Amino acid sequence: MNPLGEKYLRKDFLPFLFCPGCGDGMIVRAFLEAVDELGVIDDLALAAGIGCSAWIPVYIHADVLKILHGRAIPAAIGLKATRPSRRVVVFTGDGDGLAIGGNHLLHAARRNIAITVVVVNNQIYAMTGGQVAPSTQMGARTQTTPYGNLEMPLDACKVATAAGATMVSRWSTAHPKALTRTFKRALNHKGFALVEVISQCPVQTGRYILGSGASHFNLQWIKDHCVPVDDPSKMGEVEAQGKIPLGDFLRVEKAEFMEEVQRMNQKVKETRFKGGDR
Amino acid sequence: MKGEEKAEKIEIDRRYCKGCMLCQYVCKFEVFEPGGERSALDYLMPRAARVENCRVCRLCEVHCPDMALTVVAKRKGGEKK
Repeated sequence: MNPLGEKYLRKDFLPFLFCPGCGDGMIVRAFLEAVDELGVIDDLALAAGIGCSAWIPVYIHADVLKILHGRAIPAAIGLKATRPSRRVVVFTGDGDGLAIGGNHLLHAARRNIAITVVVVNNQIYAMTGGQVAPSTQMGARTQTTPYGNLEMPLDACKVATAAGATMVSRWSTAHPKALTRTFKRALNHKGFALVEVISQCPVQTGRYILGSGASHFNLQWIKDHCVPVDDPSKMGEVEAQGKIPLGDFLRVEKAEFMEEVQRMNQKVKETRFKGGDR
Repeated sequence: MKGEEKAEKIEIDRRYCKGCMLCQYVCKFEVFEPGGERSALDYLMPRAARVENCRVCRLCEVHCPDMALTVVAKRKGGEKK
Protein backbone atom coordinates (compact mmCIF):
# COMPACT_ATOMS: atom_id res chain seq x y z
CA MET A 1 0.00 0.00 0.00
CA ASN A 2 0.97 3.58 -0.66
CA PRO A 3 2.96 5.05 2.29
CA LEU A 4 0.48 7.95 2.55
CA GLY A 5 -2.27 5.39 2.91
CA GLU A 6 -0.34 3.50 5.58
CA LYS A 7 -0.03 6.71 7.53
CA TYR A 8 -3.45 8.33 7.24
CA LEU A 9 -6.13 5.83 6.20
CA ARG A 10 -8.44 3.79 8.40
CA LYS A 11 -7.24 0.29 7.53
CA ASP A 12 -10.33 -1.48 8.84
CA PHE A 13 -12.53 0.40 6.34
CA LEU A 14 -10.42 -0.56 3.33
CA PRO A 15 -10.64 -1.39 0.46
CA PHE A 16 -12.36 1.70 -0.92
CA LEU A 17 -15.94 1.05 -1.97
CA PHE A 18 -15.39 3.13 -5.12
CA CYS A 19 -15.78 1.38 -8.48
CA PRO A 20 -12.61 0.39 -10.40
CA GLY A 21 -11.11 3.48 -12.05
CA CYS A 22 -13.12 5.99 -9.99
CA GLY A 23 -11.51 9.39 -9.48
CA ASP A 24 -12.45 9.66 -5.82
CA GLY A 25 -9.51 7.56 -4.69
CA MET A 26 -7.14 9.90 -6.52
CA ILE A 27 -8.71 12.81 -4.66
CA VAL A 28 -8.11 11.02 -1.34
CA ARG A 29 -4.45 10.62 -2.27
CA ALA A 30 -4.04 14.22 -3.47
CA PHE A 31 -5.71 15.53 -0.32
CA LEU A 32 -3.58 13.33 1.93
CA GLU A 33 -0.44 14.52 0.18
CA ALA A 34 -1.46 18.13 0.86
CA VAL A 35 -2.24 17.29 4.51
CA ASP A 36 1.06 15.45 4.85
CA GLU A 37 3.10 18.34 3.46
CA LEU A 38 1.34 20.86 5.71
CA GLY A 39 1.33 18.50 8.73
CA VAL A 40 -2.20 19.46 9.76
CA ILE A 41 -3.80 16.04 10.30
CA ASP A 42 -4.51 16.80 13.97
CA ASP A 43 -6.31 20.05 13.13
CA LEU A 44 -8.50 18.54 10.45
CA ALA A 45 -12.25 18.21 10.77
CA LEU A 46 -14.00 16.72 7.77
CA ALA A 47 -17.65 16.82 6.85
CA ALA A 48 -19.60 15.05 4.14
CA GLY A 49 -23.16 14.49 3.04
CA ILE A 50 -24.40 11.65 0.89
CA GLY A 51 -22.96 10.45 -2.40
CA CYS A 52 -19.97 8.61 -3.79
CA SER A 53 -17.65 11.52 -3.13
CA ALA A 54 -19.03 11.93 0.39
CA TRP A 55 -17.26 8.66 1.21
CA ILE A 56 -13.86 10.30 0.72
CA PRO A 57 -13.43 11.63 4.30
CA VAL A 58 -14.69 8.42 5.89
CA TYR A 59 -11.43 6.69 4.97
CA ILE A 60 -9.20 9.44 6.39
CA HIS A 61 -8.07 9.02 9.98
CA ALA A 62 -9.36 12.38 11.19
CA ASP A 63 -12.55 13.68 12.81
CA VAL A 64 -15.41 13.10 10.38
CA LEU A 65 -19.03 14.24 10.36
CA LYS A 66 -21.43 12.34 8.11
CA ILE A 67 -24.59 14.36 7.67
CA LEU A 68 -27.93 14.40 5.85
CA HIS A 69 -27.96 14.71 2.09
CA GLY A 70 -26.81 18.18 1.07
CA ARG A 71 -26.50 19.51 4.61
CA ALA A 72 -22.77 19.06 5.09
CA ILE A 73 -21.98 22.76 4.75
CA PRO A 74 -24.29 23.99 7.57
CA ALA A 75 -22.85 21.35 9.90
CA ALA A 76 -19.33 22.40 8.89
CA ILE A 77 -20.21 26.03 9.61
CA GLY A 78 -21.43 25.03 13.05
CA LEU A 79 -18.23 23.11 13.65
CA LYS A 80 -16.09 26.04 12.55
CA ALA A 81 -18.11 28.45 14.71
CA THR A 82 -17.52 26.39 17.86
CA ARG A 83 -13.92 25.39 17.08
CA PRO A 84 -12.38 28.19 14.97
CA SER A 85 -8.91 26.63 15.21
CA ARG A 86 -9.92 23.50 13.28
CA ARG A 87 -9.39 23.31 9.52
CA VAL A 88 -12.81 22.27 8.29
CA VAL A 89 -13.08 20.60 4.92
CA VAL A 90 -16.36 19.56 3.30
CA PHE A 91 -16.36 16.86 0.64
CA THR A 92 -19.42 17.02 -1.50
CA GLY A 93 -20.51 15.85 -4.91
CA ASP A 94 -22.20 17.76 -7.66
CA GLY A 95 -25.66 16.55 -6.66
CA ASP A 96 -25.03 16.94 -2.94
CA GLY A 97 -23.40 20.36 -3.20
CA LEU A 98 -25.10 22.02 -6.15
CA ALA A 99 -28.63 20.60 -6.21
CA ILE A 100 -29.79 19.44 -2.80
CA GLY A 101 -27.38 21.63 -0.87
CA GLY A 102 -27.05 24.42 -3.44
CA ASN A 103 -28.65 26.98 -1.18
CA HIS A 104 -26.16 26.26 1.61
CA LEU A 105 -23.24 26.68 -0.76
CA LEU A 106 -24.45 30.17 -1.71
CA HIS A 107 -24.84 31.33 1.86
CA ALA A 108 -21.59 29.83 3.13
CA ALA A 109 -19.78 31.63 0.30
CA ARG A 110 -21.60 34.88 1.08
CA ARG A 111 -20.66 34.58 4.75
CA ASN A 112 -17.00 34.01 3.87
CA ILE A 113 -16.42 31.59 6.75
CA ALA A 114 -13.03 29.85 6.58
CA ILE A 115 -14.03 26.39 5.40
CA THR A 116 -12.91 24.51 2.32
CA VAL A 117 -15.56 22.95 0.13
CA VAL A 118 -14.38 20.29 -2.32
CA VAL A 119 -17.03 19.75 -4.99
CA VAL A 120 -16.30 16.51 -6.82
CA ASN A 121 -17.96 16.89 -10.20
CA ASN A 122 -18.57 13.67 -12.12
CA GLN A 123 -21.44 15.17 -14.14
CA ILE A 124 -24.04 12.64 -12.99
CA TYR A 125 -25.82 11.21 -9.95
CA ALA A 126 -23.57 8.19 -9.85
CA MET A 127 -24.49 6.42 -6.62
CA THR A 128 -28.22 6.22 -7.42
CA GLY A 129 -27.69 4.82 -10.91
CA GLY A 130 -26.99 7.59 -13.39
CA GLN A 131 -29.73 10.23 -13.24
CA VAL A 132 -29.32 13.72 -14.66
CA ALA A 133 -27.48 16.13 -12.34
CA PRO A 134 -27.25 19.93 -12.37
CA SER A 135 -23.73 19.65 -13.80
CA THR A 136 -24.64 17.26 -16.65
CA GLN A 137 -23.68 18.65 -20.04
CA MET A 138 -26.45 19.70 -22.39
CA GLY A 139 -27.57 16.93 -24.74
CA ALA A 140 -26.19 14.14 -22.55
CA ARG A 141 -28.18 10.91 -22.38
CA THR A 142 -28.71 9.61 -18.87
CA GLN A 143 -31.22 7.28 -17.22
CA THR A 144 -33.72 10.12 -16.71
CA THR A 145 -33.00 11.97 -19.97
CA PRO A 146 -32.99 9.15 -22.56
CA TYR A 147 -33.41 11.59 -25.45
CA GLY A 148 -30.82 14.10 -24.26
CA ASN A 149 -30.57 16.64 -21.47
CA LEU A 150 -32.31 19.93 -22.28
CA GLU A 151 -30.85 21.94 -19.38
CA MET A 152 -27.66 23.97 -19.29
CA PRO A 153 -25.09 22.74 -16.72
CA LEU A 154 -24.50 24.74 -13.57
CA ASP A 155 -20.94 26.00 -13.11
CA ALA A 156 -19.97 25.66 -9.44
CA CYS A 157 -16.99 28.01 -9.78
CA LYS A 158 -19.06 30.83 -11.27
CA VAL A 159 -21.80 30.35 -8.69
CA ALA A 160 -19.30 30.54 -5.83
CA THR A 161 -17.56 33.57 -7.34
CA ALA A 162 -20.87 35.38 -7.72
CA ALA A 163 -21.90 34.46 -4.18
CA GLY A 164 -18.72 35.98 -2.74
CA ALA A 165 -16.26 33.13 -2.17
CA THR A 166 -12.69 34.34 -1.73
CA MET A 167 -10.87 31.38 -3.27
CA VAL A 168 -12.20 29.52 -6.28
CA SER A 169 -10.26 26.84 -8.17
CA ARG A 170 -11.07 24.03 -10.52
CA TRP A 171 -8.79 21.11 -11.31
CA SER A 172 -9.30 17.57 -12.40
CA THR A 173 -8.15 14.10 -11.40
CA ALA A 174 -5.97 14.09 -14.51
CA HIS A 175 -3.92 16.94 -12.93
CA PRO A 176 -3.02 15.43 -9.55
CA LYS A 177 -0.02 17.64 -8.81
CA ALA A 178 -2.00 20.84 -9.39
CA LEU A 179 -4.79 19.39 -7.28
CA THR A 180 -2.43 18.81 -4.34
CA ARG A 181 -1.08 22.36 -4.67
CA THR A 182 -4.61 23.77 -4.68
CA PHE A 183 -5.61 21.73 -1.63
CA LYS A 184 -2.59 23.12 0.21
CA ARG A 185 -3.57 26.68 -0.67
CA ALA A 186 -7.20 26.07 0.26
CA LEU A 187 -6.27 24.60 3.66
CA ASN A 188 -4.22 27.70 4.43
CA HIS A 189 -6.75 30.15 3.03
CA LYS A 190 -8.50 32.56 5.42
CA GLY A 191 -11.99 32.56 3.98
CA PHE A 192 -14.37 30.42 2.00
CA ALA A 193 -12.49 28.26 -0.49
CA LEU A 194 -14.21 26.25 -3.19
CA VAL A 195 -12.22 23.61 -5.04
CA GLU A 196 -14.11 21.93 -7.84
CA VAL A 197 -12.58 18.66 -9.02
CA ILE A 198 -13.61 17.21 -12.36
CA SER A 199 -13.58 13.49 -11.71
CA GLN A 200 -14.18 10.46 -13.87
CA CYS A 201 -16.99 8.01 -13.29
CA PRO A 202 -16.44 5.14 -15.72
CA VAL A 203 -19.53 3.26 -14.60
CA GLN A 204 -22.22 5.93 -14.95
CA THR A 205 -20.81 8.95 -16.83
CA GLY A 206 -18.57 6.80 -18.96
CA ARG A 207 -21.12 4.23 -20.00
CA TYR A 208 -24.17 6.46 -20.43
CA ILE A 209 -22.80 9.87 -21.48
CA LEU A 210 -19.35 9.38 -22.99
CA GLY A 211 -19.79 5.97 -24.57
CA SER A 212 -17.24 3.74 -22.84
CA GLY A 213 -16.87 2.33 -19.39
CA ALA A 214 -13.11 1.85 -19.70
CA SER A 215 -11.25 3.77 -16.99
CA HIS A 216 -8.47 4.93 -19.34
CA PHE A 217 -11.04 6.26 -21.83
CA ASN A 218 -12.62 8.38 -19.10
CA LEU A 219 -9.25 9.69 -17.90
CA GLN A 220 -8.33 10.57 -21.47
CA TRP A 221 -11.69 12.34 -21.92
CA ILE A 222 -10.80 14.58 -18.97
CA LYS A 223 -7.34 15.21 -20.41
CA ASP A 224 -8.87 16.14 -23.78
CA HIS A 225 -11.75 18.25 -22.51
CA CYS A 226 -10.20 20.12 -19.60
CA VAL A 227 -7.91 23.01 -20.51
CA PRO A 228 -5.82 24.75 -17.83
CA VAL A 229 -5.95 28.54 -18.21
CA ASP A 230 -3.61 31.03 -16.54
CA ASP A 231 -5.97 33.96 -16.79
CA PRO A 232 -9.63 33.72 -15.68
CA SER A 233 -10.61 36.10 -18.49
CA LYS A 234 -9.79 33.33 -20.97
CA MET A 235 -12.48 31.07 -19.51
CA GLY A 236 -15.00 32.21 -22.12
CA GLU A 237 -12.76 31.22 -25.04
CA VAL A 238 -12.31 27.70 -23.67
CA GLU A 239 -16.02 27.31 -22.94
CA ALA A 240 -16.87 28.43 -26.46
CA GLN A 241 -14.92 25.40 -27.76
CA GLY A 242 -17.10 23.13 -25.62
CA LYS A 243 -14.28 22.44 -23.14
CA ILE A 244 -13.94 22.92 -19.42
CA PRO A 245 -11.49 25.59 -18.19
CA LEU A 246 -9.29 24.64 -15.23
CA GLY A 247 -7.21 26.87 -13.04
CA ASP A 248 -7.02 29.03 -9.95
CA PHE A 249 -9.70 31.56 -10.82
CA LEU A 250 -9.93 33.71 -7.73
CA ARG A 251 -7.94 34.31 -4.58
CA VAL A 252 -8.62 37.49 -2.60
CA GLU A 253 -8.56 38.50 1.05
CA LYS A 254 -11.78 39.66 2.69
CA ALA A 255 -13.10 39.93 6.23
CA GLU A 256 -13.52 36.39 7.57
CA PHE A 257 -16.71 35.55 9.47
CA MET A 258 -15.22 34.03 12.65
CA GLU A 259 -12.68 36.84 13.04
CA GLU A 260 -15.52 39.35 12.70
CA VAL A 261 -17.51 37.46 15.34
CA GLN A 262 -14.58 37.58 17.75
CA ARG A 263 -14.08 41.28 17.05
CA MET A 264 -17.73 41.97 17.74
CA ASN A 265 -17.66 39.98 20.98
CA GLN A 266 -14.73 42.07 22.13
CA LYS A 267 -16.52 45.29 21.23
CA VAL A 268 -19.71 44.31 23.00
CA LYS A 269 -17.76 43.32 26.14
CA GLU A 270 -15.97 46.65 26.19
CA THR A 271 -19.16 48.70 25.80
CA ARG A 272 -20.87 46.71 28.55
CA PHE A 273 -17.89 47.22 30.84
CA LYS A 274 -18.12 50.96 30.33
CA GLY A 275 -21.81 50.76 31.15
CA GLY A 276 -22.66 52.45 27.88
CA ASP A 277 -25.55 51.89 25.61
CA ARG A 278 -25.38 48.92 23.18
CA MET B 1 23.05 6.42 -17.28
CA LYS B 2 23.94 9.40 -15.17
CA GLY B 3 21.51 11.29 -12.90
CA GLU B 4 18.65 8.98 -13.63
CA GLU B 5 16.55 7.43 -10.92
CA LYS B 6 15.71 3.78 -11.12
CA ALA B 7 13.06 1.79 -9.37
CA GLU B 8 14.04 -1.07 -7.14
CA LYS B 9 10.60 -2.62 -7.26
CA ILE B 10 6.95 -1.73 -7.84
CA GLU B 11 4.60 -3.10 -5.25
CA ILE B 12 0.94 -3.67 -6.10
CA ASP B 13 -1.10 -4.46 -3.02
CA ARG B 14 -3.27 -7.42 -3.88
CA ARG B 15 -5.65 -6.61 -1.01
CA TYR B 16 -6.79 -3.35 -2.59
CA CYS B 17 -6.14 -3.47 -6.37
CA LYS B 18 -9.28 -3.36 -8.51
CA GLY B 19 -7.56 -3.92 -11.83
CA CYS B 20 -8.59 -0.64 -13.47
CA MET B 21 -5.26 -0.67 -15.37
CA LEU B 22 -4.84 3.12 -15.13
CA CYS B 23 -1.22 2.49 -14.11
CA GLN B 24 -0.60 0.79 -17.44
CA TYR B 25 -2.34 3.64 -19.27
CA VAL B 26 -0.46 6.54 -17.66
CA CYS B 27 2.98 4.87 -17.78
CA LYS B 28 5.09 6.28 -20.60
CA PHE B 29 7.73 3.54 -20.34
CA GLU B 30 5.51 0.46 -20.67
CA VAL B 31 6.41 -0.92 -17.29
CA PHE B 32 3.06 -2.58 -16.69
CA GLU B 33 1.20 -5.28 -18.51
CA PRO B 34 -2.03 -7.14 -17.76
CA GLY B 35 -1.20 -9.99 -15.43
CA GLY B 36 -2.89 -13.29 -14.78
CA GLU B 37 -3.07 -13.06 -11.00
CA ARG B 38 -6.34 -12.12 -9.29
CA SER B 39 -6.47 -9.69 -6.38
CA ALA B 40 -8.33 -10.30 -3.12
CA LEU B 41 -11.34 -8.54 -4.68
CA ASP B 42 -11.26 -10.96 -7.63
CA TYR B 43 -10.04 -8.50 -10.28
CA LEU B 44 -7.24 -9.30 -12.72
CA MET B 45 -4.24 -7.34 -11.54
CA PRO B 46 -1.58 -5.59 -13.62
CA ARG B 47 1.96 -6.89 -13.42
CA ALA B 48 5.08 -4.73 -13.24
CA ALA B 49 6.81 -6.67 -16.00
CA ARG B 50 9.55 -4.23 -16.96
CA VAL B 51 10.68 -2.54 -13.75
CA GLU B 52 14.04 -1.78 -15.38
CA ASN B 53 12.26 0.77 -17.65
CA CYS B 54 10.89 2.71 -14.67
CA ARG B 55 12.28 6.20 -14.08
CA VAL B 56 10.36 6.86 -10.84
CA CYS B 57 8.11 9.61 -12.20
CA ARG B 58 5.44 8.16 -9.88
CA LEU B 59 2.62 8.93 -12.31
CA CYS B 60 1.19 5.45 -11.66
CA GLU B 61 1.34 6.07 -7.95
CA VAL B 62 -0.60 9.36 -8.11
CA HIS B 63 -3.14 7.93 -10.53
CA CYS B 64 -3.86 4.73 -8.62
CA PRO B 65 -7.47 5.15 -7.42
CA ASP B 66 -7.10 2.56 -4.70
CA MET B 67 -3.73 3.68 -3.33
CA ALA B 68 -2.55 0.14 -3.89
CA LEU B 69 0.60 0.95 -5.83
CA THR B 70 4.00 1.94 -4.45
CA VAL B 71 7.14 2.66 -6.40
CA VAL B 72 10.23 1.95 -4.34
CA ALA B 73 13.16 3.92 -5.72
CA LYS B 74 16.72 2.63 -5.61
CA ARG B 75 18.74 4.34 -2.95
CA LYS B 76 21.10 6.95 -4.36
CA GLY B 77 24.76 6.11 -3.87
CA GLY B 78 23.85 2.50 -3.32
CA GLU B 79 25.12 -0.41 -5.36
CA LYS B 80 26.03 1.03 -8.73
CA LYS B 81 27.74 -0.59 -11.62
